[in-house]
Amino acid sequence: MKDDVIICRCEDVSYGEIVEAIDSGLTTLEELKRVLRTGMGPCQGRTCSRLIARIITERIGGEVADMKPLLDRPPTMPVEIGILAGASDED
Amino acid sequence: MNHRRDGILRGEGLRRLSPPPARLKAGPVVVIECVESIPCNPCVQACPKGAIIIEGDINNTPTVDYDKCNGCGLCISACPGLAIFVVDASRSDGVGVVVLPYEYAPLPEKGEIVSALNREGEAVCDALVVRVINTKALDRTPLVSIEVPVEHVMAVRHFRRRGDRS
Amino acid sequence: MRLTQHPILEFDRGREIEFEFDGRKLLGFEGESIAAALHANGIRVFRESIKRKRPRGFFCAIGRCSSCLMTVDGIPNIMTCVTPLKEDMKVETQRGKGAILLTESFSPGSRPTEARRGAKDVATVSLAIVGAGPAGLSAAAYAGRMGVETIVIDENDVPGGQLIKQTHMFFGSREHYAQIRGIDIGDELIANLSGLPVKLMLGTTVLGLYPDRTLSLLANRRHIELRADAVILATGASENMLAFENCDLPGVYGAGAVQTLMNVHGVVPGKRVLMVGAGNIGLIVAYQLLQAGVDVAAVIDAAPEVGGYHVHAAKIRRAGVPILTSHTVQRVTGPDRVESAEICRVDDHWQPVPGSERTLSVDTVCLAVGLTPNCELAFQMGCRETYVAELGGPVAAHDPDLETSISGVFIAGDASGIEEASTAMIEGRLAGLAAAELLCREVDREELKRLRSEATSSLKTLRAGPFGATAREGKRKMFKVGS
Ligand SMILES: Cc1cc2nc3c(=O)[nH]c(=O)nc-3n(C[C@H](O)[C@H](O)[C@H](O)COP(=O)(O)OP(=O)(O)OC[C@H]3O[C@@H](n4cnc5c(N)ncnc54)[C@H](O)[C@@H]3O)c2cc1C
Ligand code: FES
Repeated sequence: MKDDVIICRCEDVSYGEIVEAIDSGLTTLEELKRVLRTGMGPCQGRTCSRLIARIITERIGGEVADMKPLLDRPPTMPVEIGILAGASDED
Repeated sequence: MNHRRDGILRGEGLRRLSPPPARLKAGPVVVIECVESIPCNPCVQACPKGAIIIEGDINNTPTVDYDKCNGCGLCISACPGLAIFVVDASRSDGVGVVVLPYEYAPLPEKGEIVSALNREGEAVCDALVVRVINTKALDRTPLVSIEVPVEHVMAVRHFRRRGDRS
Repeated sequence: MRLTQHPILEFDRGREIEFEFDGRKLLGFEGESIAAALHANGIRVFRESIKRKRPRGFFCAIGRCSSCLMTVDGIPNIMTCVTPLKEDMKVETQRGKGAILLTESFSPGSRPTEARRGAKDVATVSLAIVGAGPAGLSAAAYAGRMGVETIVIDENDVPGGQLIKQTHMFFGSREHYAQIRGIDIGDELIANLSGLPVKLMLGTTVLGLYPDRTLSLLANRRHIELRADAVILATGASENMLAFENCDLPGVYGAGAVQTLMNVHGVVPGKRVLMVGAGNIGLIVAYQLLQAGVDVAAVIDAAPEVGGYHVHAAKIRRAGVPILTSHTVQRVTGPDRVESAEICRVDDHWQPVPGSERTLSVDTVCLAVGLTPNCELAFQMGCRETYVAELGGPVAAHDPDLETSISGVFIAGDASGIEEASTAMIEGRLAGLAAAELLCREVDREELKRLRSEATSSLKTLRAGPFGATAREGKRKMFKVGS
């Protein structure tokens, strides 16, 4: 695959950047997230996690099945902070 | 080539679902192009003559009792796979009829000349639209009857209106 | 372009209204999604990506991928694929990140359990069902008929889940709603709820689920907390992405997104489409594109055989659409939207065959390359995760009653493994019955037993054939690991 193929749309992270990070020793979704922000954007990794898991196994071997997934935290959707802080339109 | 490679039935697979030649000559008859085990059986219930049979498990493919089938076509629009056709090769004038499900808009008109297509979407011959049925009971799966040279009744499975893009 | 005639659907469009896009006045229909209105006006580029400033349009059309964020009435990061159009709305191309969004967690760094919730409105219910698709609605009908007070929550304004865009007739036998079109099955499922203690809460997104079975809901920009004694997750699935050169270009859309645009909003995605994926979804959506008058250049699949039913393949083949197995897409090109796609053959090891490249002139590439179960809520709560490839990948572990590793939390339908609406409905029934057994002290045991064995044998029949083999194997593995 070409290096400039976009894998994580939200944070604009390319295949090349992910491969470089894996080759530098980051081999879990969680580590890559912390460094590259993949899966940290508004879609929360829904679009890219599977692709990244595949790339990791292609680089270092192993099975996608054994890969530790990203920790799911609420909220599942992007929300304005104000709403969760209790402010609503009537306030 | 296997139909799973490109979606086209040919050869032995096709021969097996053709009605016997004598039955084809005797009058309109159903052709069910359903060759895979999928859990499905509305065709059985749609036939008023009890001519369509699925034995045992609903995953089995249907078989037709050609002596019971009178080619009424009530099963055509009942098939979720749009895989049922009625063909009539009984006429003596060399003209055959194919009745097929047609879920496109606009519908052709009676008397219109259309281009008859085979299972690969290739134009086979011209065809004359002789009947268009779109009753409520058909639930938006209209039936169109087209006349083609009789030798093509087992080849023609669709048509394209003249003005439509190819 | 808007559809004016369709063989199956009639479009009940709202009032025609004016809105503004980057200062231009455009016409749209009140209540349709902003993304659909823009598309109908020929606008496919919605934003510029944050770092590389690449053009982006929508991709999933169901509020999952965040590809469609725009600035609306001055507020950035609005998901235009699920936000209804209003008169005089000011829609702008979004450049950069926009304002801060809370996406990482309620209080960064903490476990979800400790997160601050702080909703003003708190409600309680016996059973909460997330998702009003075939699985959720069937679960509600069965729990409801056993007397369980139930609330079904769905983020959409209309119930039915995936069914609302499925114009084709379903397979099965009469008890599985065979021969009825998906769009009409939803109505029947809703009718089944009448007279039961079941409430629908639509237009409401479940943002979080906590170990004490509290759900955090967002409805109409209000944050509500719902405490439930039991929860059934019937959240469906999300479409998988495929990586190739320029796969983020506007015009590369998910198959479900194309279906939503076309069959819900009556807007066609383009003039000529390449469909990637010859499973049932790819084949069905290709057929629906033809029905909407859109040209389908080809349906391709990397596998050596068609994955979906032959009858679905035959419908598009006889209309002249080639199905190219052992083929993949390598790149799409175009300045700011798809103008062509390059496909090639792949060998037995899935590697591109040099010299087999071909360029197709298409303005849309539709991806139907599989689904992943939506299990986030289960995982947030701490339900045990497993990975079963046959069920679509990461999925919450569950037993034959669809109960997860946490007692009183069930998962059913596509969320518990990718299958079909027919099986989703029956799984929903089983989950509804299991929840009723757990919640009601005076439940009619005989009736429960009868309904359960009826559903179990129905499920067995549906999975019995060769096309049910994957799910059969997936569930076998799942039940072996247990919950
Ligand atoms: C093109 C296509 C054709 C198909 N054809 C057939 C067919 O012919 N026969 C067949 O049996 N099946 C078919 N299917 C499959 C079938 O549609 C699905 O298997 C079925 O809809 C799954 O039902 P479900 O209830 O599990 O999920 P869904 O129908 O996906 O419903 C889930 C619902 O939950 C909502 N939701 C998710 N998360 C949240 C949240 N956090 N908060 C609030 N709401 C939420 C979603 O918006 C959605 O409305 C087809 C699918 C597609 C895409
Ligand atoms: S979130 Fe709108 S297109 Fe995916």
